[in-house]
Amino acid sequence: MMETDVVVVGGGVTGVAVLRDLALRGVRAVLVERFDLGTGTSGRWHGLLHSGARYAVRDQESARECIEENTTLRRVAPHTIEDIGGLFVLLPGDDEAYAEQFVEGCRASGIPTEELSAAAAHRREPLLAPDVKLAYAVPDGGIDSWSLLRSMAADAEARGCKVLVRHPMVGAERDGDRITAVRVHDAVAGEDRTIGCQWVVNAAGAWAGEVGRMAGVPLKMIAGKGVMVVMASRYVRGVVNACRKPADGDIIVPQHEVAILGTTSEQVASADDISVGLADVDRMIDMCAQMVPAIASGRVLRAFAGSRPLYVAEPPADGGGDGGGDTREVSRTFTVVDHPKLDGLDNMYSIVGGKLTTCRQMAEAVVDRLAERMGVTEPCRTATEVMPGADHGPHQVAEPLARVERDQAYGELICECELVTRGQVRDAVASGLTELEDLRRKVRLGYGPCQAAFCAWRAAGMLAEAGNGPGPGGDQGPDAVVGLERFLEERWRGQRPTIWGDQARQALLNHAIYRGIFDLQGAGVPDEAAEPSTPAGGSGGPPGWSPGGAGEG
Amino acid sequence: MRADVIVVGAGPAGLASATRLAEAGRQVRVLARGNGFTHWGAGAVDVLGRVGGEPVSQPLEAIDRLPEGHPYHLVGQAAVRDGLEWFSGFAAGAGLAHAGDLDRNRGQVTAFGTLRQTCLLPEPAAGTGPDGFLGGRVAVVNFAGFRDFSPALCATHLRVSGIDATPASAPLPAWDHDRYFTGVELARAIDDAGFRRRLAPGLARAAAGADVVVVPAVLGLNRGHEPWADLQSLVGTPLVEAATAPPSIPGLRLFAAYRARLEALGVRWQFGFPAVGVERDGDRVTAVRSEGASRVLATRCEELVLATGGVAGNGIEANRDGTLTERVAGLPVDGFEDRLAYLGGRFLGDHPLAAAGVRVDAELRPVDASGEPILANVRCVGGLLAAHDPTVEGSREGVALATAARVAALLAATPVR
Repeated sequence: MMETDVVVVGGGVTGVAVLRDLALRGVRAVLVERFDLGTGTSGRWHGLLHSGARYAVRDQESARECIEENTTLRRVAPHTIEDIGGLFVLLPGDDEAYAEQFVEGCRASGIPTEELSAAAAHRREPLLAPDVKLAYAVPDGGIDSWSLLRSMAADAEARGCKVLVRHPMVGAERDGDRITAVRVHDAVAGEDRTIGCQWVVNAAGAWAGEVGRMAGVPLKMIAGKGVMVVMASRYVRGVVNACRKPADGDIIVPQHEVAILGTTSEQVASADDISVGLADVDRMIDMCAQMVPAIASGRVLRAFAGSRPLYVAEPPADGGGDGGGDTREVSRTFTVVDHPKLDGLDNMYSIVGGKLTTCRQMAEAVVDRLAERMGVTEPCRTATEVMPGADHGPHQVAEPLARVERDQAYGELICECELVTRGQVRDAVASGLTELEDLRRKVRLGYGPCQAAFCAWRAAGMLAEAGNGPGPGGDQGPDAVVGLERFLEERWRGQRPTIWGDQARQALLNHAIYRGIFDLQGAGVPDEAAEPSTPAGGSGGPPGWSPGGAGEG
Repeated sequence: MRADVIVVGAGPAGLASATRLAEAGRQVRVLARGNGFTHWGAGAVDVLGRVGGEPVSQPLEAIDRLPEGHPYHLVGQAAVRDGLEWFSGFAAGAGLAHAGDLDRNRGQVTAFGTLRQTCLLPEPAAGTGPDGFLGGRVAVVNFAGFRDFSPALCATHLRVSGIDATPASAPLPAWDHDRYFTGVELARAIDDAGFRRRLAPGLARAAAGADVVVVPAVLGLNRGHEPWADLQSLVGTPLVEAATAPPSIPGLRLFAAYRARLEALGVRWQFGFPAVGVERDGDRVTAVRSEGASRVLATRCEELVLATGGVAGNGIEANRDGTLTERVAGLPVDGFEDRLAYLGGRFLGDHPLAAAGVRVDAELRPVDASGEPILANVRCVGGLLAAHDPTVEGSREGVALATAARVAALLAATPVR
């Protein structure tokens, strides 16, 4: 049996930030994650590094947390951030009184704002609607959660902590008021394992309630579904928000080669409900096109949804939690749930709520509480200790081009849309990656407008050459084909609501390539209607298959 | 400007229609937005590979099993036969001889090591057996540094089909692409006899002990099948070109052959000038409007052949609300309840949108909901036609050639006014 001091449950940004915080304080810890890092909410969001301005009017506690962490992350993880700034734009019909409250709220929360005339706003963002009345500049940014996850995890592992992906938690062993071990299922080996521990941190986000249930304590999470739409180009230089009470379709976040439109906020019964309806997509486009009209006729790549991990200590009298309502009223701040005090479970803490921007602060709060109980006196260092990779400075959107120019071995493009080179894929394959889906998250393979028409089979060929097929050793070719088919079906999930116009031609062309030329029939790959597996139920798919991992960073 | 017949579109259907009409003495002008499924296909002539998802071994015979309204039913088996015969003669005359016939399908080796069912294959892809089957020991060889072919992927999947295949790599002789290169650049290099002589020894070493060598379809671009035949004799082992992803180099060869033939026939050719509308007089189209460099041009015509393709070919626009728009003449196309209905739940499954198109009568004239022709001098051919899915059925080139044959028969008999 594996033994450690702390088991952290959940491989999103919160769990990984907790692991790094523990590592920096010299505590032994193991993180367990049901799929891969960032396959839950951390991989299904719009990529906004909040300035806090979105919360400045109604949720100033969150706003203050955001601006503080925005500043901290720029210091310790600049390489994960696109320093692009943001605007809040006022359109005809928007409430000018709200704009005044907004400026005052920002001031009170410590968020710097600068008022721009319509002309100045258009100079900065030429595609803004001609009738924009004025705009406020705020220090929003873009952040790549997978880059952040990789850096934090690498730092934690370099300091002796351990990350176990594809190890869903399946149970807890209790001895009286203590958890003595966490049971996990090794999805690759196909066997259960037990990890003996002194402490447990539940950082499972929207799924924290499941972990609570396995540990035998009540923990009521509210799943707040947010739908996002990915456009095929950036449209804007920086983040563009509507200066109004937060509502559907009021934000455009440029990220790498795409722009993400967000978002809805709908309470759903299960965090695994990540369905996207036609009306959601239409609303995102129509609303965002009020700010940037070119979006109305643009090419949509895909749509996806994520589950906000919302928590209210005492659910409202109407029951809350079973779907239907707008969840914007729920604070975006975070909570350390003190199970020793609340439930008599002496050695588990849950960290719930919050946002990606505040993940480091969330980790600090829960680890402070834990450290006090453990007698660890080492202070938190995550706000000052710079992450590996940070020496390159902020992420530049043109960096892939520079990389291609710089290095001949990296000049051969495997994915033209995202400028992914043979060198990058080769290095990733050499590091042991076996699934195209993992390559996608690692190097952005297959993200662009052509939606993997060309890169996926080139990369599948490289996996076949390296003998990294996911199946048992020896004859790897058929597995590379099955792996490719699985990747294509996974990419297809949730695409249908966004396919019309040029993207419809692209879809049929891709079909003509993979089914027509290559004669792939896709037998044996689960279809879109297949039930996603749940953490409690273990892995329902083949090893490494992640039903939820189809989102954008 | 005026023409006797305007053909809009330069894919398999437009090219064949234009060539046949010009051969029949019509004065033809081709307007095209860009390249079509010559470039985007497998480089073979598919007639009918599957019906109802089941593989077909005898394409002509299986036509009877296709649903009502299918283009093959409209034009009849005679047109299919005529189309294929004409094509075989045309291709052979252009130095691109094809093997096969309508009595049975053949297996085409793909870069994935699958054996796709098709009807006619260019000789370099035809294989060594009567059904295109690869006999004996097979070496699957890539040219070092060519990114669009993986011998490991191809060979391991061929072994699943019971074929004794082994992956290998052949070095390229020094050439002026020290960085990466495309299949087109490699094919152009292979056009050069000196390059082939330097290439052959390495390829022969990689193929040592094999009875057949499978290579990516890059053996020459502008010299017909001669570079393939020459390299094969230099290596001393049969060479078989495997279908790769677009652009299809066998398709480029065919496109060049059509273009040369059309030029020899005096056909005017406007490439990169998409047709955007028509002018009408009653039930006749009198002119086609196309985008010029700086303005919209109108070209008058007596007859119009629309070979613009379905949604994939850009002849039809799929709108956000589930309606479909035919892009040149605004012909009616049956839409869908909403856009979710366009596509199936599996990417590799079937997609209703692929079969969307213009409904026509037996003379290929567009019809209204009651089945009556709308325009007397407009004919639709190829992928633009309703009620067939060229990808899933494996019928793209067959429908193109059969409907081109029908149009040639109809319009060759129409006197010029």
